[in-house]
Amino acid sequence: MHSIRTYLRQISLFMILAMGLATTWSTTAVAGVVGTGDVLTEQRAEVDRQSLMSMLERDEVKEALSTMGVDQSEVENRIQSLTPSELADFNEQLAEAPVGQDVVGIIVLFLLVFIVTDLLCATNIFSFINCIR
Amino acid sequence: MIALPRVLAGTLVALFAGCASVPPWPETAGGDAGEPLVQLDVPFFPQERYQCGPAALATMLASQDIAVTADDLVPRVYLPEREGSLKVELVAAARQYGMLVYPLDRKLADIVAEVDAGHPVLVMQNLGFDWFPQWHFAVVVGYDPTEEDLILHTDTRRANRQPLSVFYRTWERAERWAAVILPPGDFPATAQALPYLEAASDLELTGQQAAAFAAYQASVSRWPDEPAPKLGMGNIAYSQERWTEAAGYYLETVASFPGLAPGWNNLAHALARSGCASQSAEALACANRLKPDTFASDLPTPPENSDFVCPTIQCPAID
Repeated sequence: MHSIRTYLRQISLFMILAMGLATTWSTTAVAGVVGTGDVLTEQRAEVDRQSLMSMLERDEVKEALSTMGVDQSEVENRIQSLTPSELADFNEQLAEAPVGQDVVGIIVLFLLVFIVTDLLCATNIFSFINCIR
Repeated sequence: MIALPRVLAGTLVALFAGCASVPPWPETAGGDAGEPLVQLDVPFFPQERYQCGPAALATMLASQDIAVTADDLVPRVYLPEREGSLKVELVAAARQYGMLVYPLDRKLADIVAEVDAGHPVLVMQNLGFDWFPQWHFAVVVGYDPTEEDLILHTDTRRANRQPLSVFYRTWERAERWAAVILPPGDFPATAQALPYLEAASDLELTGQQAAAFAAYQASVSRWPDEPAPKLGMGNIAYSQERWTEAAGYYLETVASFPGLAPGWNNLAHALARSGCASQSAEALACANRLKPDTFASDLPTPPENSDFVCPTIQCPAID
């Protein structure tokens, strides 16, 4: 067990760095005209968000989440706060999963997100991870 | 603690998901219509040593009546030191010819659908192994549903037949990348709104304004529910300093999509440039009402005299 813990922590730290880099999210006001590509990126993110949300409505997913003691509304909140690039990553992986395995795949993805938020002490789902703070 | 085995199990599933088996021959791929074999009449350029990239791209471009040979493309897309071409370079070179590069959904059925529509399909293959890749570009020009073969212009072979299993495995190892290359305004058979408009926006970003404009223009009627085509036409007009024309496109954009905050913001800028100071400020206020504190308040200074008739601005109601 001990070696697995150490291993997971390293993965999680890597994930923090990776996702941190992917979420350099600008909050400054837009100057000048908004590019067509920016509007498309936002639209794409909304489509991805909706498809993730609809996944949550499936019974197998609901069941799996409740077995893990994860609150559905918590997951919904997480999805709302994902950036376009994170959403695109998720959907890319979903699209590549063979038919029938998407449910398992999506749950794994959620778990990865939660591991990161756990490390940041934003949530507390996995007891084997120690908070950074 | 209960979650740990699940994480590991899930990760293993995710890892092995890459080894998917070859799918069945797509049901859509004809045969029963009495014409079993489909083969497009596409020019062929046999590749020189290692130069599959220029050869495949030349085939794609020449099929759209562009006068180009593989040799012309070598300096653009061939890296002598790497003895190969990069996918991104092929795409970029096609754009420099004013062509729209539409990446297909990673499905065999979509390749078949494009061939049925008369569009050759550029595909990437990995002829080696995952751990020792040998990248290759080829063009799917037909298929034979009886034999379950794909027909490709590849390396030095014209209309080479590859059994589905062979093709699919090599394609799979290249992440099933495939694209059609068409003049902007023509639509791939499998075209979907967002990917097509993203491809058009890539043309806009790479300086192919006329090509991007044509693609947006054709998209207006094809996807009337998409705001990007009109907005994009406005953005191109704006970048070319045709201010009043841009204002016209933006006005049409916000008329159809009143909730699109960037549309109001861009309208504000175009109106300011067209000499409508107060209307410009009103449009910017609309944008910031839709998305508070998003758009900067420094608008361009309106010119002294302009004969543009300033429109009346009315913000959409927000519930």
